[in-house]
Amino acid sequence: MQKHRSSETTGDLLRLSTPVEIARHGQRQRILDAMIECSAEKTYAATTITDIVARARISRTTFYKHFADKRACFDAAVEQCIEELQQVASAALAPTDPPAEAVRKGATAVVGALAARPGLAQLLTGDAIAVDPMVIERYRRATIPALEAVWEQEGSAPEPHTDPRLAFGQAQVLILNQIATGKADKLPELLPEIVYLAVGPYGGHEKALEQSRRAREAAAPGTASE
Amino acid sequence: MISNPDDLQQWRLPRGRHGLPRELVERSQRERLLAAVVKTTVAKGYESTTVADILGEAGVGRETFYELFDDKLDCMLSAEQILLDSLEQRLREVYISSAPWPQRVREGLQATLEWFAADPEVARFLLIELSTIGPDFHAVFRAQYARFTGLFEDGLDAGAPSPELSQATRLGVSALLARLYEEVVLGRAAELPRLLPDVTYDFLVPFVGEEEARAEQQRATA
Repeated sequence: MQKHRSSETTGDLLRLSTPVEIARHGQRQRILDAMIECSAEKTYAATTITDIVARARISRTTFYKHFADKRACFDAAVEQCIEELQQVASAALAPTDPPAEAVRKGATAVVGALAARPGLAQLLTGDAIAVDPMVIERYRRATIPALEAVWEQEGSAPEPHTDPRLAFGQAQVLILNQIATGKADKLPELLPEIVYLAVGPYGGHEKALEQSRRAREAAAPGTASE
Repeated sequence: MISNPDDLQQWRLPRGRHGLPRELVERSQRERLLAAVVKTTVAKGYESTTVADILGEAGVGRETFYELFDDKLDCMLSAEQILLDSLEQRLREVYISSAPWPQRVREGLQATLEWFAADPEVARFLLIELSTIGPDFHAVFRAQYARFTGLFEDGLDAGAPSPELSQATRLGVSALLARLYEEVVLGRAAELPRLLPDVTYDFLVPFVGEEEARAEQQRATA
């Protein structure tokens, strides 16, 4: 939902000039991808640098050229995931959408992206909790102002009905449970609840229910009235 | 580390209102080890904690430890189980009753917040340390989340209209869990009971809407 931050990936790529720099960039990306995939398979705690370098097909020396340690690599991976998801969200909505609708579209797109890459969901829920609770605070700080900005389109942001930080935590718990039950690929099952949580803080219960209903109808036409 | 058996009295498992009978709190070797695994993992982190640390804390021999537990993780999960059994028991006492449902929710939440506040170390163990055990965490989370979601569902009014959101109970339990986690991370477990009005509201809204949830929130403030 933030419009002014270009992705690290594309932004950096444009600035790269020499083949060495381009190669280095590719390596860094491979390391981050490897980190995400390894965490998805065996959690961050059980992932070793050996796992990461094997999967990224780079040497240990190369790993340490890019990151001081496993934790620094994890932080970079989390940051990249958040940016990626913010782009997915902002690409999904039109500037003319009323806020509640915009939030529904953004949330739907994010859930879709997480379902397509369960590693991201694992990284942002289970692992973030285990590694360092402050990681969560960092990405909440990046996400909540973006959510607020959507409602500001109608003038000033409305008084929150509920704490957006809480909604964020609730969504994390729901997603973590989905992963823990081995249904990471079926995250869209949670769409009505996630949309409800996303709209609720600034839109209130009724608007949140209405958008949740619409999300359910879009996912399974004709079954919403059950 | 521990030579005087009298010192062991301070290594009891639950302090405060965990609902465990006194005999359980007595220092059987098993209980001492369970208390020790809570204390040492909270102090040092799960990964850095060794079986020797636990033994030192408990004043129990290695042989006894391995008679009772397979390893450090087994000991940790046994402590988790016994603690959450006692929370569940406490919660059932207040929540499963004939009072109106919103009131029972409020009372159940109050009991839960007070249970965690009674022992910040236990709160930290359950909400934070457990998540660091590696791949087994998923099974632990799944089981306990299902247990407490199921408990709240068991107590729903049979006659009440079902909420539009099919996962309303999960939303409620998630609100409770997210609030608990946040406060415990910030080292404010002892102050948890003051969250009761907010948690009551958060839990009830998806079921009954803002107005009715607000009314129950008021009662929680009173």
